[in-house]
Amino acid sequence: MTIFLQAVADGLQMGLLYALVAVGLAIIWGLMEMINFAHGEFMMLGMFGAWGLSVSLGWDPLISMVPIAVVMYGLGVLVYRVLMQRVQRGEMFTQIFATVGLFFFIQNGVVAVFTSDYRFVEGSLLTGLSGANLSLGGVRIGVPLLVGGLIALGLFFLLYLLIDRTDFGLAMQATAEDRDAAMLVGIRPQRMYAVAWGLGTALVAVAGVILANFFSVYPQAGLSFTVLAYAIVALGGFGSILGTLLAALVVGVVQSVTAAYLPPAFKDAFVFGSYILIGLFRPQGLFGRF
Amino acid sequence: MAPLLQVEGCTKRFGGLVANRDVSLTIEPREIVGLIGPNGAGKTTLFSCISGALHPDEGRILLDGTDISKARPEQVCRLGVARTWQVVRSFGRMTVLDNVICGALRRTSRVGPARARALELLAFTGLAGKEDVTAAALTLADKKRLEITRALATSPRLLLLDEAMSGLTPFETTAAVELVRRIHSELGLAICVVEHVMEVVMPLSHRVVVLDHGEKLTEGPPAEVARDERVITAYLGDRYRART
Amino acid sequence: MVWAVAALVALLYPVPFERSGQIYYETVGFLVLLNAMLGIGWNIIGGWAGQFDFGPSIFFAIGAYTAALLSIHWGFNAWLALLGAVVVSVVICAALTYPVTRLRGHYFAIATVAMWMIAQPIGATWPLINGSQGLFIPVASGGSFVHGMLTMEFPGRGKGLGFYYLSLLLFVVTLLGARAVERSKWGFYFRAVRDDQEGAEAIGIDSRLYKVIARCLMAAVFAAGGTLYGFWALAVFPDQVLEVNWNILPMMAAVVGGLGRLWGPVLGAIVLIPISQLMTTTLGAGPLAGRGIDLIIYGAVIMLIAGWRPNGLLSLPWAEWAARVRRRAPAPPVPTSRGRS
Repeated sequence: MTIFLQAVADGLQMGLLYALVAVGLAIIWGLMEMINFAHGEFMMLGMFGAWGLSVSLGWDPLISMVPIAVVMYGLGVLVYRVLMQRVQRGEMFTQIFATVGLFFFIQNGVVAVFTSDYRFVEGSLLTGLSGANLSLGGVRIGVPLLVGGLIALGLFFLLYLLIDRTDFGLAMQATAEDRDAAMLVGIRPQRMYAVAWGLGTALVAVAGVILANFFSVYPQAGLSFTVLAYAIVALGGFGSILGTLLAALVVGVVQSVTAAYLPPAFKDAFVFGSYILIGLFRPQGLFGRF
Repeated sequence: MAPLLQVEGCTKRFGGLVANRDVSLTIEPREIVGLIGPNGAGKTTLFSCISGALHPDEGRILLDGTDISKARPEQVCRLGVARTWQVVRSFGRMTVLDNVICGALRRTSRVGPARARALELLAFTGLAGKEDVTAAALTLADKKRLEITRALATSPRLLLLDEAMSGLTPFETTAAVELVRRIHSELGLAICVVEHVMEVVMPLSHRVVVLDHGEKLTEGPPAEVARDERVITAYLGDRYRART
Repeated sequence: MVWAVAALVALLYPVPFERSGQIYYETVGFLVLLNAMLGIGWNIIGGWAGQFDFGPSIFFAIGAYTAALLSIHWGFNAWLALLGAVVVSVVICAALTYPVTRLRGHYFAIATVAMWMIAQPIGATWPLINGSQGLFIPVASGGSFVHGMLTMEFPGRGKGLGFYYLSLLLFVVTLLGARAVERSKWGFYFRAVRDDQEGAEAIGIDSRLYKVIARCLMAAVFAAGGTLYGFWALAVFPDQVLEVNWNILPMMAAVVGGLGRLWGPVLGAIVLIPISQLMTTTLGAGPLAGRGIDLIIYGAVIMLIAGWRPNGLLSLPWAEWAARVRRRAPAPPVPTSRGRS
């Protein structure tokens, strides 16, 4: 039983981080129904950014989070304006395909520069805290992961405020609901889309920065997070931010519990399997309304 | 003669909205039935329930005695129902001829005979000469004609036309009405027509069914329905009454 | 006329390399033909039926493993093993695909990726196929060219040549098969489902059934390709047959050449494979070798095609260009004999 509870606790914490990974995708999807195969690659770039700045300038990832977020925001907007804007008016397959190209380009670009070797962030605040534990009713909660999760939660909250409480966020919601009507009231959809891409990219990169404290940094790290993010967005009802958070927690727990009882290679298999099952039996996700 | 189509107490809900409430109607073979009513009355929903695109929450739909309430659209088509759509649909990337061949393949598995039948039907509906045009490039009137041709290719016994005249100029409308008449007289189908243009529906139909807010208001010969106070209040307006 | 020339080129392609001993180019030809064949298979589900499968390599792997198992444990001849591989692959594809036909567009695409990702740990740990240690296909030595064609065994020097012609054979069979499907009822129905699924259902097309059929045809082609690959590599390893390249190259070939066009994947493969091989030879063992430069180029090509030429290279105005070239070429002197125009 303790194993189970431990797995649940670990899963919830990971879930918070997964939520940050997935929410960028939820925003982009909710706004323009675009699929982005390269989503995880942006996360990977965030990881490499954290590692690189840590190694060359000695910056703690919690600090480098900010400049990385800014740079990745710019990258997201750039990708949108140069490529995605063009394919948006075309067929669905072309949109997907374009991001597949982006995926190969980014991942192998990193391989070319850094090779596929595994790298590690060392000497950061969170890695320094490694080993510090809180104990809650027999369940051990690692402090670093907890802190990381709380940071993610904080960012999530800020995002929620942005989307729900600012005029800009309202404009984005309007564009997601009805693009033409939004245009009629003076909102420029292209600008919304560019911001969505910038925001989505920045968020997932920041998630990568945090995750770099706990996971090895290597170019291939992205793809399984991409599929994981999609599973989460699908479960969470496609575009609902709160739904994404809840779904991410569920996925974190499922993955953690699976890992506790089955060989590690299968830890993602369950999540992917659930994605397929959800698609079959409850396409609006666990928390979506149809 | 037993009715071709029997709708018994069809009820369809979308969340809190009741699109069809306890709607019953019959269509006899070779009959032209007009289905009229204000926007949102549930006409297209009823069509979708009949054709299998939607399934009624309550009630039954029988085609020649067979219960098709839960049937999938392709099964309903196989049993002899074809429909067109409010917003015209076509296989945009295929040619006009290929579109109709797809329909004709319902009745014959081989492309040769299907092509021959498709060419016949295109001549019948007045699209001869446009066989190799890509469907997406057609005018609206021709797209509607193509949709009808493709539906006819499946050899239906009942044809459901959903606002086939909407968006057409008066000239095109006259041609379309002519086509419907010819389809009825030469191919002997039962046809159910949803229309907003009274000058089209009334002269064309043997019988008219009126829907309002998801319920059947009344039905009967066109002249009777046009004089019905409730129908005038709900839909037609005094101006139409003054004309008949 | 063009076909005759193309056929001749294809048949005689290895001859100059046999003479000069550069067998490597025969293997390049083999890879081009293999990927072209896979691309044609992928085109059936991706181009005609419009369902984007991003994880077709699971059927490549199923084909390779089935053929290997049949050959190792029951001594099946290679061609019989191929047949068996195709059958098994189609059955598994039908079982896997029917439930997910409800998923549309993006969701279906992600589901195929999810299936591929689930397949990886299975492949690495399943005892029946020896997990990550792989299966080795026994091969007899010696044998003539004809014997080799019958058993897919070309040990030693004749390997490049033999497998080139094997792949050419399978490619032609696939091409002719695809052409037949394109003109058949299935071909029409696939494209109808792609263009407008509801409209297709309304004229009597069971969209779920035809999506399954299309994917099974792809699975059959991939299984055949996997078998060929297995006998060429003489070993089947999960990370090799499930490699991301087998997912992406056939699709790329189809899209780069022209999605939905019969010859698209062929053109695409001819353009793309040499890029990868060129990278291998020019970068050799230098510092940039194995750094995925070819994949970077692939990524860039994909983005360029998607953004600027989504209908592929076949959609370029070849006829117009040819006409322009002809107009620019100086007219040959006309013999002065009257009465001729």
